[in-house]
Amino acid sequence: MATVLDSVTYPHGLDPSDDLRRGNTARLRWRTGFDRWIGYLLPLLFLVALVPIADLVWYIGKTALPTLTFTVISSQNSFQSYNALGVPLISTFYILGLATVIAVAFGLFGGIATAEFLSESAAGWVRMSANLLAGMPSVIVGYFGYFAFVLYFGWGYAIIAGAFTLGFFMTPYIFRTADLAFSSIPRPIREAAYGSGARPVQYILRVGAPIAFPQILTGVFLAMAIGLGETAPIILTVATNVAVPTNLSQGATYLTYLIWTGFQFGPHSVELTLAFEAAFLIVVVVIALNIVVRVIAARFRRRLEGLYQ
Amino acid sequence: MTANAIPEGSGEAPVVQVRSLTVQAKAKKAPKKILDNVGMDFAPRSLTAVIGASGCGKTTFVRTLNRMVELTPGLTVSGQVLYLGQDIYSRSINPVLVRRRIGMVFQRPTVFPMSVFENAAFGLRLLHESDNEIDSAVQEALTRSGLWDEVKDDLDRSAFSLSGGQQQRLCIARALAVRPKVLLMDEPTSALDPMATQRVEATMRRLKEEIVLILVTHNVGQAARVSDRVAFLHQGRLVETGPTAEILERPREELTQQFVTGRFT
Repeated sequence: MATVLDSVTYPHGLDPSDDLRRGNTARLRWRTGFDRWIGYLLPLLFLVALVPIADLVWYIGKTALPTLTFTVISSQNSFQSYNALGVPLISTFYILGLATVIAVAFGLFGGIATAEFLSESAAGWVRMSANLLAGMPSVIVGYFGYFAFVLYFGWGYAIIAGAFTLGFFMTPYIFRTADLAFSSIPRPIREAAYGSGARPVQYILRVGAPIAFPQILTGVFLAMAIGLGETAPIILTVATNVAVPTNLSQGATYLTYLIWTGFQFGPHSVELTLAFEAAFLIVVVVIALNIVVRVIAARFRRRLEGLYQ
Repeated sequence: MTANAIPEGSGEAPVVQVRSLTVQAKAKKAPKKILDNVGMDFAPRSLTAVIGASGCGKTTFVRTLNRMVELTPGLTVSGQVLYLGQDIYSRSINPVLVRRRIGMVFQRPTVFPMSVFENAAFGLRLLHESDNEIDSAVQEALTRSGLWDEVKDDLDRSAFSLSGGQQQRLCIARALAVRPKVLLMDEPTSALDPMATQRVEATMRRLKEEIVLILVTHNVGQAARVSDRVAFLHQGRLVETGPTAEILERPREELTQQFVTGRFT
């Protein structure tokens, strides 16, 4: 039976069914195969990077878990002679909480202002400064806090001095996510809000905030994870206190302080035991924060599916 | 060629008057003119289609009519846009208020991540209207935009669950809810399929009995189907404007003739 195709002539006199086969040269076949193997190799390399992390968590867990009981976590005895973590845990909670409040205040307002209100060139300078601050070694931020808060403001070694120092250190991370979250809201959505007669603050609160919220929350939690692991800014501004502080102008002990000092003592000392236990708790909290971030981000991503792309 | 501002037949004063409007973009050497000395009037209860090729400045033109153009950095506007005789670019005028009187609908649906009801109520919430007022205004706006019958059973569902055409009519309802006197539509059907386009066009034909509609389109057929007047822009200049039938069938200018017959180069 004659079909329409029979009446069609092809260029170069090729049989149409042959055209695709001839194009598949040895060179093209080799390249296609190479691409596939690279595709297998990259996840493998990721697994290689995972090994040291897994080993680290396993080793810390193995060392810390046998001695880490609920009594240890809740005991408010002096950690200088007992295996007791209550004091540094509560102190860490105070310092990190206050530092987060400070960092969110500066980072959120700064990030939103940069994304929404500043001119292109001014925003560029602010972003550069934030990146500079984020790249600053924490010990330098610690020295800044020591000279500014402990000495110049005369606060001495105090929770308030440490919270401000740590807060400044955490600010650029929150700033960057707030800035990015608001900058990446689709322009038509932004214009639709302004086109409906929204004032800038109304746009930010009613349209921008719900869209940017998951990303900003991610930034806050990651900044907390980073802040939890910091040592230098704390040692230089809060130093230590064997008891739970009763007001903000007293010194306190951060969990990382135990790790920092613990390794100066012998292998069977109470200090080294505390160091491993503190390290284990920090690792657990950091992992938990990251999981929470993922869950929140996934939940909100589903809600925002269908947003103007 | 300057403005040929012929008032419409109704004899009523125009709602929007554009006077020697020029928009310039900051450029490395000389500033580039996006709109060059455009002038025209928009009568009450009319639909004017602004047509022209891509890049002729028609989108910029409608964006100057409610000061949305100011959200694009690097553009300077000169000339006048009079809304009920008041220059909207005068120093004492708040652009936020201008946009509440002169609404806007965009190329692709721009629904917000909230319910159908909250999308339609958005402009009213900005004005802190009472719940009763919002309820009735939302129903009225959804009815006027032709969406009410399709969404009335579940106003609380996410606006993202609507089809593209429904989303666009929701955007029209959102703009109508604050009862603007002028509605600007920037290629509102360019992302929609023919069926959805028909329904949006039906909405436009209904609305032009009540308010001033200004429609940007590159689709001459659409201009023929819905508009009373046509303004043809070419490279930032207003080539000619007049009643739709006249412009599409017997244009005075050679350029217009070429564009409407599809022989444009």
